[in-house]
Amino acid sequence: MLKTITLIWNYLRIGIANELQYRVNFFIQLLQSFIALGTGLIGLWLVFSHTTTLAGWTQPELLAVMGVYILVGGIIQSAIQPNMQRLMDEIQSGTLDFALTKPVDGQILVSIREFRFWQLTDVLVGSVVLTIAVIQLQEQFGPLQALSFAVALLLGGIMVYCFWLMLTTTAFWLIRIWELVNLFQGLYAAGRWPVSIYPNWLRLGLTFLVPVAFAVTVPAQALTNRLTSTTLPGALGVTILLMLLSRFIWKLGVRGYSGASA
Amino acid sequence: MKRYNDFYLTSMKIAILEQFQYRAQNYFYMVGVIVEPTIYLVVWSTIASQQGGSVGGYTPGALAAYYIVWTLVRQMNIVFTPYGWEDRIQHGRLSMELLRPMHPIHYDVSYFAGWKVVMILLWIPIAAGLALIFKPTLDPTWLQVIVFLVAIWGAYLVRTMIYAVLGLITLWTTRVSALFELIFALELILSGRFVPMTLMPGWVQRIAFYLPFQWTFFFPINALVGKVGPVELLSGLGMQLLWILIGVGIVNIVWHFGVRRFSAVGN
Amino acid sequence: MRTSIISAENLSKHYKVPVREAGLKAATRSLFKRSYKTIKAVDEISFQIEPGEVVGFLGPNGAGKTTTLKMLSGLLFPTGGTPDVLGFQPSRRQAEFLSQITLVMGNRSQLAWDLPALDSFDLQRAIYGIPRGEFEKTRDEFIEMLEIKDLVKKPIRNLSLGERMKMEIVGSLLHRPKVLFLDEPTIGLDVTMQRRIRTFIADYNQRTGATVLLTSHYMADVEALCKRVLVIHNGRLLFDGDLSGLVDRFSAFKTIGVTLENGYGNFSQYGEVLNQEAGHVTLRIPREKTPEVTARILAEQPVDDLTVEDPPIEDVIEKVFAQNSAEA
Repeated sequence: MLKTITLIWNYLRIGIANELQYRVNFFIQLLQSFIALGTGLIGLWLVFSHTTTLAGWTQPELLAVMGVYILVGGIIQSAIQPNMQRLMDEIQSGTLDFALTKPVDGQILVSIREFRFWQLTDVLVGSVVLTIAVIQLQEQFGPLQALSFAVALLLGGIMVYCFWLMLTTTAFWLIRIWELVNLFQGLYAAGRWPVSIYPNWLRLGLTFLVPVAFAVTVPAQALTNRLTSTTLPGALGVTILLMLLSRFIWKLGVRGYSGASA
Repeated sequence: MKRYNDFYLTSMKIAILEQFQYRAQNYFYMVGVIVEPTIYLVVWSTIASQQGGSVGGYTPGALAAYYIVWTLVRQMNIVFTPYGWEDRIQHGRLSMELLRPMHPIHYDVSYFAGWKVVMILLWIPIAAGLALIFKPTLDPTWLQVIVFLVAIWGAYLVRTMIYAVLGLITLWTTRVSALFELIFALELILSGRFVPMTLMPGWVQRIAFYLPFQWTFFFPINALVGKVGPVELLSGLGMQLLWILIGVGIVNIVWHFGVRRFSAVGN
Repeated sequence: MRTSIISAENLSKHYKVPVREAGLKAATRSLFKRSYKTIKAVDEISFQIEPGEVVGFLGPNGAGKTTTLKMLSGLLFPTGGTPDVLGFQPSRRQAEFLSQITLVMGNRSQLAWDLPALDSFDLQRAIYGIPRGEFEKTRDEFIEMLEIKDLVKKPIRNLSLGERMKMEIVGSLLHRPKVLFLDEPTIGLDVTMQRRIRTFIADYNQRTGATVLLTSHYMADVEALCKRVLVIHNGRLLFDGDLSGLVDRFSAFKTIGVTLENGYGNFSQYGEVLNQEAGHVTLRIPREKTPEVTARILAEQPVDDLTVEDPPIEDVIEKVFAQNSAEA
């Protein structure tokens, strides 16, 4: 366990040192975060120039959703996506061997190698937006809400990781999965709005197929006092299920893996 | 002139042959593209039903028509991205293009044009599916259909030029992703990609008129699904032509200076 | 009146690269202060090449060979000197210039990956505007010469590395260029394939009188094709002349191989023994002592056969570079 943590810390260190080389990237990344934020705000403003609520969510509540969306997006872009991209590339080019022959559990290794430090600007921006939204809400917001929010966020994050891992692992069999990845990245964009607005069939897909609902809407529900007594325990259950499932599929993939070249 | 004709046809043929081999991947890509307008459609339809049946004059049926036609227009205006230019330059592929006695952009335009032929064929069943689910209301005149068919190619060329200019900037500096994202964001708002331009406040619409973006999305879509008269249709085509010519001019200037710069540093 | 088809005078290419040490501390420091170093990829090279010549550029990796080729084909602007190819200034990249040259780089492809080579050839025809009749004649000629009639119908991705290289070369010569720049054309290929390609290039040169500039770090390429050799190291031109002259000038040794009638004697008295087995000895001796030593061996030993050879060119080149690295 300690070894794993030290390993994570080392990769983090290298990742940060790498990124610090490109000092301008920080400002570029920050700028990009602001542009994305601006676009989102314009979208929200446009919606609310035509109506006062959207499927029961008020403007500050939707702002909270957007804040969570950006924050989770930042976590995905800095820690999850780079690792999955690299895994996919290495499966396709047959260079995954290097990772699999190290004396560290393969799944852990491929999940922690990359870290894009500058993408954390989204986490920063998202947090600021969240804070503003919560202040505007003027609802009851105490330690209970904060805690349930943190838990929801953590579970959602783990679910997204498991989902991505499973998706990337299909590269062991399908090889070319770039378009599949593209498709699901597009689906994540649906998380910008609370999933309750989508037709039922789409909502189901966005909850259990691509855990967007758990990643964004549920934490937002935690912030806006919309959680029912079953939401968080349900989320925990799905998280554990996904962790077991992704681990199983990973092992299956590795067992059949032989490298792309003869 | 005849040689360029020949080149375009040959290049398109190659694109069609290659991309047809990749039809599975192309299908997946297209399905991915559809997610975006579906989200917009759902959001605005929700608002329409909440506001008593329509928002800004668009019923859910009209919105469905807008966003389904959107998917075809979107396929048509996918072009070589500025990021693609950056990648091509960094990996030395631009050098291979530079050795040909022909401007690389001819290859891009002709190859993508051929690719679009394949995409249009693949799109038809998807559109049919979408129509079944979302039930669009559509009733265009013959002139509208013809102008639409021309306008989608016009949209393709306008957008090619915009992103070629952006992409060529990477010949000077690679730190331009923020600029790209800014332009993408502007395009999202001002082109009719996010919502029909008529749902935007008046002052935004006036600004958008002087920019090239709405001629790549809103104009072609609206030509087919809106209530547009002949004068508006033809003057719209004229605007597209104007932007294409402006674009070609800028691309030529930027290219001239860009190649000199590239040859100083090279890859 | 200049007759040379390619001319370079004091050609140079310098690059400025940032330098940084490893570690987190140095990385943070570099956020605030950058230090640079000038790399001289090509340093004042001059040469003239006549039409029809097949010239080899020899040098280790990073010597500046590819950079020089790129400057001559217009891909790079020289930092100093003005190259002249076919009467054009390459960096101006005029269509007329580009239509008469070709650059083949061993590890970069210009053919469509999923389609048969024939389709890509057709595209080349369209790009260079080759009249159809002429195009088909040239194409079929090349296909026959390289015996690839069936292979041209298979998608490129299904071909072996060597077969792919054949297609690349054909594709790059369809417009019958007058000047060929070949950068490591046989890299990664097996011996048979290398020979095939060399023969083809030599043939093309003979039939069309085209000028060929070839870079390689395989001596065999240069030995087989080039009479004249330019040796480049650390961006400088070390030698320009006949291949045999290279050996003469830089090699201070000769290798003597002696086959013995019986047994073996003590040969270390004559020179450095490279190899000794029952019945055969290989010796290395200083060049000027050759007549003296061979005479002695013939007189004093039971010799069945005796050969005097130049050392392998690789050794010569290695010595040249080692010498220069030491001096540099």
